[in-house]
Amino acid sequence: MAKVLIPTPLRQYADKNDTVELGGTTVGEILGKLTSQYQDLRRQLYSDEGKLRSFVNVYINDEDIRYLKKEATPVKEGDTISIVPSIAGGAPVVEAPAQTATLSKEEILRYSRHLIMPEVGMEGQLKLKSAKVLMIGAGGLGAPLGMYLAAAGVGRIGIVDFDVVDFTNLQRQVIHGTSDVGRKKLDSAADTMHEINPYVQIDKHETALSSENALDLFKDYDIIVDGTDNFPTRYLVNDACVLTGKPNVYGSIFRFEGQATVFAYQGGPCYRCLYPEPPPPGLVPSCAEGGVLGILPGTIGLIQATETVKLILGKGEPLVGRLLLYDALAMRFRELKLRKNPECPVCGAHPTVTKLIDYQQFCGIPQHEPAPAPGVAEGEIDPVEVKAKIDRGDRFVLIDVREPHEYQICSIPSAKLIPLGELPKRVNELNSADEIVAHCKSGMRSAKAVEFLKQAGFKKVKNMKGGILAWSDKVDPRVPKY
Amino acid sequence: MIEIEAQPWRQMVEHARATYPNECCGAMLGRIEDGNKRVVVAMALENASAGPQAARYELRPEDLLAADREARRHNMDLVGIYHSHPDCGAYFSETDLKNSCPWYSFVVLSIQKGEFDHANSWLPNPEQTKAEKEELKHA
Repeated sequence: MAKVLIPTPLRQYADKNDTVELGGTTVGEILGKLTSQYQDLRRQLYSDEGKLRSFVNVYINDEDIRYLKKEATPVKEGDTISIVPSIAGGAPVVEAPAQTATLSKEEILRYSRHLIMPEVGMEGQLKLKSAKVLMIGAGGLGAPLGMYLAAAGVGRIGIVDFDVVDFTNLQRQVIHGTSDVGRKKLDSAADTMHEINPYVQIDKHETALSSENALDLFKDYDIIVDGTDNFPTRYLVNDACVLTGKPNVYGSIFRFEGQATVFAYQGGPCYRCLYPEPPPPGLVPSCAEGGVLGILPGTIGLIQATETVKLILGKGEPLVGRLLLYDALAMRFRELKLRKNPECPVCGAHPTVTKLIDYQQFCGIPQHEPAPAPGVAEGEIDPVEVKAKIDRGDRFVLIDVREPHEYQICSIPSAKLIPLGELPKRVNELNSADEIVAHCKSGMRSAKAVEFLKQAGFKKVKNMKGGILAWSDKVDPRVPKY
Repeated sequence: MIEIEAQPWRQMVEHARATYPNECCGAMLGRIEDGNKRVVVAMALENASAGPQAARYELRPEDLLAADREARRHNMDLVGIYHSHPDCGAYFSETDLKNSCPWYSFVVLSIQKGEFDHANSWLPNPEQTKAEKEELKHA
């Protein structure tokens, strides 16, 4: 048996009972029994078409059934079902901006495939035209987002970016072309978007988003779309969205996998409800370190664009309280349920974060990286010196601690490949009496290898400064950089 | 008829003034005797509307559920919802109607230039097509 709590005003339709006990296996079955027992209650809860009225929310214990299996949500012995209305409203001035926007003859033609859909129509297209969306980043996720939001007719689109287009961007950032290499991403993105749709306004914010400027930047927009790939900015965007009451349309990508959801929307969970603390620095590699399938940000960015347009139109079921996981290799989407954490430090009942903080420090990233020492430090060796040793025929062992797939891109002929992760179990292949030089792509991983070998008792180990990238610059320009 | 006792009425007006120029919202708890509603407690609730709140309010269903539980615990009923209209009359707007529910009284407080001006109570129909004015008594 489950208990159904009857709200005060409905008790008159239920023989004045405040609680009705009923048996059944799903919420739908129990509500069916309830309303056949009390016919007058049915008219209050269901429309003539037999659907739950729009203002009726049903909760099982503390959960909204919309986020469970709706009316098919299973019911256990002793569960409590509550009927809770959804209530909102407001003075009518909010509708005014949409009234003032109109579409020109050219715009009506351009948006005709939207206008003929009842879910969009003239009303929806004017909402799109009146909408103001801020994109954080004009990179992998920002590329499809910017192009489609412009095409859809979102009236005002802000972009925050301070980067310059380079060749490694072109594999995925389709808003930029080969001739844009070297240009500001802002200029290149705005040109592409205006080429697609000259009727939209594009605000270029050439700055790094920071605790100092975020609230000011956000205040002019309705929706914030996060297309960044680092933790300090993600926390910053999240907290600023919660503090300003703007939804955060979130996406993230790594190699073959992506995630998307809408945070901080009308009482839904925020990023900190999911991840209260950042991972230790360096644990989660960025796309620059770990790589990313070029098409992946297309898929995730377009999910973000879809959610943004749905929020503007007020149609459909927003991706709130659900984290969508995408696995491109398996070609599978999964959904995880996200809950609002009542003790969330920023959106909970008693927030401890009430203004923006130092997010670099929060994520354990030193404010100012110590500048690399000029010249070659103790334990380091310059690539030119390594070349000289090879040419002289010095006795030493050169180890390459990169991964095999990187070795296939380019390598130094005499180097022995021992990926960093395999070093502990393959250390017996090395002789501590030999002089050893380690290298990787840029010198970070080989520094870790040198550290490991020193602790293992190797005394004559050195790190080749700047890795194979520096080798390409200083020794052999035929070696490709990646 | 809905009658609001002096203390909850003061709290509602103060809540509406303090939230100006934004809209405030809350729940009214009390008793129903012979079809007449008597409000004994006003419970301020958070305006959960995303975006500008100058002309928009939204109640979280969870908060309403909590208000209903609170009422049950004190042997009272959740009898109505109140919200404010900053610099705007206390009528039931199209937005109010579209997002209403016929089970409760909806008290609207008009706040003009930061000060209480007048109030009305409304009873919307289940189809959300119109709302009838309800007699309102307050201190």
